[in-house]
Amino acid sequence: MTALLEARGLCKEYGQVQALAGADFEVRAGEVVALIGDNGAGKSTLVRALSGSEPPDSGTIRFNGEPVEISSPTVAQALGIETVFQDLALAPHLDPVQNMFLGREMMRPGVLGRLGFMDVTRMRERSRRAFDDLGATVGDLGGPVGSMSGGQRQGIAVARAAAWASKVIFLDEPTAALGVVQTAHVLDLIRRVSAGGIGVVFISHSMPHVMEVSDRIQVMRRGRRVATFRTSETTMEELVGAMTGAFQQEQGQQQGEA
Amino acid sequence: MNRKIVFRAAVASLLLTVTAACGSGSSGSSSSASGKAYKIAFIQGVSGDAFYITMQCGVQAEAKAEGVTVTTQGPQKFDPTLQTPILQSVIASKPDAILIAPTDVSSMQQPIAQAKANGIKVVLVDTTVSDPSVAVSAIASDNSGGGKAAFDAVKKLAPQGGKVLVVGVQPGISTTDARDKGFADAAKADPAFTYLGVQYSQNDPAKAASIVSAALQKDPDIVGIFASNLFSAEGTATGVRQAGKQNKVKIIGFDAGPDQVRALKDGTVQALIAQQPATIGSDGIQQAVKALKGESTTASIKTGFTIVTKANLNSAAGKAAVYKAGC
Amino acid sequence: MATTTGGGTNTVITDASRGQRLRRLQALQILVLLAVTMTVFGIARPDTFLTVFNIRGIVQNTSIYAVLGVGMTFVIITGGIDLSIGSVLVFSGVVAAKTMDAMGGQGWGTALAGAAVACCCGLGWGLFNGFMIAKAKVPALVVTLGTLSAALGFAQIITKGLDLRSAPQVLVSKVGFGNVVWQIPTLSVIAAVVVVVGIVLLHRTRFGLYTYAVGSNAEAGRRVGLDVDLHLIKVYALAGLLAGFAGILNLAFFQSTTIGGQSNTPLNVIAGVAIGGTSLFGGVGSVFGTVVGLFIPIVLQNGFVQTNVQPFWQQVVVGAVLIAVVYVDQKRRTAAQRGKSPRFSFLKGRTR
Repeated sequence: MTALLEARGLCKEYGQVQALAGADFEVRAGEVVALIGDNGAGKSTLVRALSGSEPPDSGTIRFNGEPVEISSPTVAQALGIETVFQDLALAPHLDPVQNMFLGREMMRPGVLGRLGFMDVTRMRERSRRAFDDLGATVGDLGGPVGSMSGGQRQGIAVARAAAWASKVIFLDEPTAALGVVQTAHVLDLIRRVSAGGIGVVFISHSMPHVMEVSDRIQVMRRGRRVATFRTSETTMEELVGAMTGAFQQEQGQQQGEA
Repeated sequence: MNRKIVFRAAVASLLLTVTAACGSGSSGSSSSASGKAYKIAFIQGVSGDAFYITMQCGVQAEAKAEGVTVTTQGPQKFDPTLQTPILQSVIASKPDAILIAPTDVSSMQQPIAQAKANGIKVVLVDTTVSDPSVAVSAIASDNSGGGKAAFDAVKKLAPQGGKVLVVGVQPGISTTDARDKGFADAAKADPAFTYLGVQYSQNDPAKAASIVSAALQKDPDIVGIFASNLFSAEGTATGVRQAGKQNKVKIIGFDAGPDQVRALKDGTVQALIAQQPATIGSDGIQQAVKALKGESTTASIKTGFTIVTKANLNSAAGKAAVYKAGC
Repeated sequence: MATTTGGGTNTVITDASRGQRLRRLQALQILVLLAVTMTVFGIARPDTFLTVFNIRGIVQNTSIYAVLGVGMTFVIITGGIDLSIGSVLVFSGVVAAKTMDAMGGQGWGTALAGAAVACCCGLGWGLFNGFMIAKAKVPALVVTLGTLSAALGFAQIITKGLDLRSAPQVLVSKVGFGNVVWQIPTLSVIAAVVVVVGIVLLHRTRFGLYTYAVGSNAEAGRRVGLDVDLHLIKVYALAGLLAGFAGILNLAFFQSTTIGGQSNTPLNVIAGVAIGGTSLFGGVGSVFGTVVGLFIPIVLQNGFVQTNVQPFWQQVVVGAVLIAVVYVDQKRRTAAQRGKSPRFSFLKGRTR
């Protein structure tokens, strides 16, 4: 089975800092890939590069085997790629429904729609279904998102991504700010989404979470992928070793390093 | 709880309102025996200005004498967009007569006509509107006479004759336009003087200064400048100083408020043309009361001027001519 | 996890309407303040305050501010500010007066041409504001402070500082001082139409939703593919357009371009918007609240004149009410909403 989304040799510089130095990556349909690595290893940069919010300086990206250029979030969305960023990117004053459909509103049919009138009822119904499908507990569909708990907001952000993603979802540290129950909830969400045939990529610092939910684990270090493991075939020690540099799997790519 | 906060704020602001209302109260009320006590409202061109305060003093003194009640209101700026709502509020409060100094000849026409339509007698004081027939009387300084008085002052200070200039405020104000014209006519009529025209300072001293500097470059032999308001006069004095022509160029200012008098004392200007706002105010009340009693009124009354110089400033006449900061 | 799906759906339905009711309640509270104020003055001056003539006057005096307030509400919801509306109003009025003067005629043709010209002028200034703010990333406060000065300057250049007074007869008699029926002023009916369109635009259309989204979290908007810059340009263009339209109404009402008379207008309108519950931090607000907020200072002034409060006190009280109302609103908001920390976003450049 070929990879759904595949990246080869991505590079990205911020001034003097080389955030990505020839990073590789791939995710297949219906699998959960965990992206781990120390702070500054380039995980978030890789996600931003693949989701179009900060296109890479060089390197190739293939989607379904075809080379693509993901130059903006809109392009990524068109390909069926959605991202939940660490800061969630929700508008705090808008309600869950408005956030769910922001930028992709359902318009009323006919002239009214062309005049800019939205089909609020239909959007609300769709949102409710999306939240229910994922078991996201959203207290008040008409209240501002900013007044909701971290877990609820996370649920909304994930549900939004899941509702729109047809191929791949990126989740940047989805459990970082959550309590035990909420975390379990989000991990559950991840499984449900991938069960629908969507490739899920999630960044996490939490080894237990990674071990619990992922199918494969890719380890990043200094802007590169240094190892890939099947979750069922690896151990916590091996992962930590790869993150710290004690263990190197992909030797060939280390040669560029001084 | 939230509702409670809002409610408390509402109550607090209203209490403030009521205390403010009680604090100031009405002024100039009096209960003379002369028949019905008429309610008259006086709307200034701008509140807190010495000219209109002096007028208010005249209004109140005359109201007391006539046994009528007077209330005074005025906008923060000399501006029809601010005066119109005040006038409308006053009309709604149904006074018997309104004394008003309109802030614009055309903008105030309709609102004042509305007052008349509501059966209120209107007296125009100081300024006027394009069709003053809405009012029972219009009382104002003889502004063109004021311009002439200014020219007389120049003649007294520079009897040898020469070039004269007017630094005006801005075109379109009926009073200052008339002053400028009165000065121009008088200057043109006198063969000893050459009239150089009028330049507008837009009420900006810096602009007046640059106008005067430029004028003195072109005509170094200017002997007199009539600056038709305070800012123009201050800027004119700066311009004259820049050119090093103090004492050679006589500056005639208009009005005699505290600032103008200070300018006269420190030698910025050499003479002031003082209007008689108190007379305008008392004449206004007289005309209003006449109209209310059904007696005939005088459609147009022109009041005179006093020339104030350093020499007569401390005389009884000079003191009377200077505007007051309070009654 | 997620076992109570059925029950959750039910709560969701009731809760949705609760959220909306809360927002309506906020607008109602300002309305109550207005009603209480009017009642107090009505009791203090029973024979004169609540008369048809007086209410008509109050409504008429609020009309032009209301037209400006609609645009300002949109701008402030995006977290921006527009100080230029007073000058743009004057500029548009001046160019319209010049045009109508050149056309001659006292009829509707001339008047409508003047209105169109005024709207175009306003739109032009608004587009300029929006472009400088959204694309050139100059803070809104600075850009509109600049156009405040420049638009007034151009108006003075065109007129040499002399107010133009050449409004066609129909404009003055039918629009400025006419009644549609009975004692309902045409000017106010026109303003009411603008307000209703503004309310629908803000609360029912995608344009309105994007306005809230940009003010709430512009970055979130960008991530889901909104053209935030383009939307900001549109919002400032709308404010400019309405300022231009207010220019022709102003000309009809005052029969003068009031060149020297609009310097406080932007601040008065901003005060009304703030009293009306629109947050200067962006993301929150309503056109209806703005209209009520604009009424409050005008009602206070009217009532004070009638109760014969000294003019200077009026300013003090209006200022105190502004601060008190916004303080209470802020209190309630922080209590109701954790999350975004307040910041004066319009003071900062809009950097990515």
